[in-house]
Amino acid sequence: MSDSAAKPDLLVIDDEVQIRRLLRLTLESAGYRVREAETGALGLNEAAVQRPEAIVLDLSLPDMGGLDVLRRLRDWSQIPVLILSVRGGESDKIAALDAGADDYLTKPFSGGELLARMRVLLRRAQPTGEVSIARVGDVEVDFAKRTVTRAGADLHLTVKEYALLRLLLQHRGKVVTHRQLLRDVWGPGHEEDTHYLRVHMANLRKKLEPAAGATRLVKTEAGIGYRLIDAG
Amino acid sequence: MAETPAFHGGGSAVEPSSSAARLRKIIPGREYWRGLRPSVAREYAEVFGLIGAVTWLGWFLPVSYHVFGHLYLLIVIALSVRVGRWPVFVAAVVSGVAWNYVFIPPRLSFSVLDIDDALLLGTFFVVALIGGQLTARLRAGAGRARQLEQRATALYYLTQALAAAKTVDEGAVSSLGQADDLFNARTALLLAPTEGRLVPHPASSLLLGDEELAVAETVRRSGRPAGRFTDVLPTGPVLHLPLRRGSEVVGVFSVNLGYELEQLSSAQRDLLDGFAAQIALLVERESLRAAGEREKILAESDRLHRTLLDSVSHELKTPLAVLRTAAEKLDTDDARKRASLVGEVRTATSRLDHLVANLLNQTRLESGTLRPQPDWCDARDLVASARRAVGEALARHALRLELPADLPLLRCDAALMEHVLANLLLNAAHHTPPGGAIRVHAGTDAVHGRIFLAVSDDGPGLAPELHATLFQKFSRGPRARAGGLGLGLSIVRGFMLAQGGDVAASRSVEGGACFTVRLPLADPGLVPSDEH
Repeated sequence: MSDSAAKPDLLVIDDEVQIRRLLRLTLESAGYRVREAETGALGLNEAAVQRPEAIVLDLSLPDMGGLDVLRRLRDWSQIPVLILSVRGGESDKIAALDAGADDYLTKPFSGGELLARMRVLLRRAQPTGEVSIARVGDVEVDFAKRTVTRAGADLHLTVKEYALLRLLLQHRGKVVTHRQLLRDVWGPGHEEDTHYLRVHMANLRKKLEPAAGATRLVKTEAGIGYRLIDAG
Repeated sequence: MAETPAFHGGGSAVEPSSSAARLRKIIPGREYWRGLRPSVAREYAEVFGLIGAVTWLGWFLPVSYHVFGHLYLLIVIALSVRVGRWPVFVAAVVSGVAWNYVFIPPRLSFSVLDIDDALLLGTFFVVALIGGQLTARLRAGAGRARQLEQRATALYYLTQALAAAKTVDEGAVSSLGQADDLFNARTALLLAPTEGRLVPHPASSLLLGDEELAVAETVRRSGRPAGRFTDVLPTGPVLHLPLRRGSEVVGVFSVNLGYELEQLSSAQRDLLDGFAAQIALLVERESLRAAGEREKILAESDRLHRTLLDSVSHELKTPLAVLRTAAEKLDTDDARKRASLVGEVRTATSRLDHLVANLLNQTRLESGTLRPQPDWCDARDLVASARRAVGEALARHALRLELPADLPLLRCDAALMEHVLANLLLNAAHHTPPGGAIRVHAGTDAVHGRIFLAVSDDGPGLAPELHATLFQKFSRGPRARAGGLGLGLSIVRGFMLAQGGDVAASRSVEGGACFTVRLPLADPGLVPSDEH
């Protein structure tokens, strides 16, 4: 998985001992080193002292809300944070993502999902340098030339579609919220104009995934945002 | 050409059929309330008429004036049994004057009486006094009997009207109407809730000001009458009577007696008290009925809770049992067996997950904490995420999507819609045999301004007897596969209603079931194009 010399250090902040144990089991078997904290205060302390490479943070903690932990953390650190939340708490997830969380997982989740999210988070955290060409499925994007091809054939994307695709590619494998997409592509003041996003995203999809049965490259996270699949 | 039979309006005016209206018309006891006054003027007319007639006739009769003295005495005696005390006294006076002036010689002038005549004249008065007294007593007796009878009749009609009333409102309308007629006054019924101020019943014809309401409040607190003709706060024109049920005051009955009535006879007071007692009974009956209803609702919710508990514990325990057994056997060396156990664990967990999600959703619906956050959504996105949420349960069915390319955006809460569609997909998967086809199609209904999404299958369809209870919670189809609480469709309906839409069940083209969710068609406005 990773170099044996540098096992990435992770911090799990969750009050449920069983969840912590399970997270440790899953993450350690994938080659991470795991520290645990059962309260928000302990977690913040641990994060400051040990400087982990990523944090798994439960949104419902006994002493302080996960959202508060996140905000305080973001005051001084850009450590990638993966939020754990329950189903139905869409507004909590959005609030956490807007407050600087990098991604979220809904309980109950599978170990595979957890590891995939963690890989994306840690990859993002590494300085990757300038990538000029990105591939997703059979779609290839050349950032330098601003061209998109599918299976070798040129794809004609509008300015907004290209901007959307570029943003999703930058956060590849990670959820990007509606707000974020709208703000970055249409500019501040358009955060509520979700219908722009729906229409352009539908058009973009038609171009990227023309056949009904084709692999979906862009996943919808109901009520939250979009995610470009990670598998290249 | 056959003549069409014509219907003639036979002039049969439709009588008001409601018993309350009928009873109000023939209400008895009004005389009773206003006191027995068989026109005094008529009695005086009788007195003067009779004496005048006798005097006029006697003028032409050539007989001794003594005869007239006795004739007048007879008239006074006769009148004493017919008219009241004062008229008969007047009759005695008038007879005496007429006899002296007209008949005792010299005629047409007053003369000094001799002892015989004086005695006879004195007899007029004695007879008038005694007779008047006797008659008055007799009359009072008869009057009291009649009063009692009329009071009984008035109360009887009231009781009947109240018994016929199905609700406290109906009863209040008819009893207050009767009271208005009977007492010839405006009346009000104030109901006393367990806490808070007295509430005037809308059928009241008397509007109470703040001062009178305050008096009514003292009546409610003290349980004793107040207002006009009482010792408590008697300055206003309104009499307030407590409606008592045991030691508790359930309301106040207020009558605006006005200032014209100078005093309240005990009979009138009795009638008022009778009315108050009857209305109190009505209120009591209503509160007993309400208590009974509450009891019924409690029993019903108790039954629901038991059902919930039974099925929830069954539904939770089954996958838990699977999980536990699988966990115990996982350390087997047989790789194939282990793979199958892992599959069981996966199925059990997804079943548990779905169950918990639905229980939580149902709770959100019932607790009223559901706040849909409408947003513009693409039907394709919604179907895709619902499909993802359902996961493996759909693996053995063929899913066909027929979403038109020009389908407008939906204005809905994406997360709720995902649950709605996931429940419908799961429902279709559960009720059709493996290998069946499930079709999702969508469209707009311009006539009703709606956009719809439909999930249909080629399964056995819906039993007609199910239609009534389809969307109720804990309602499960007879052919439902094991598993499930019967919450799915109830949640679908709840979530759709919360978003301003609805859901309907019908027969699909394929012969199976079809569930259609509809939302109002909304216009997101123009999306700026950036085609270059």
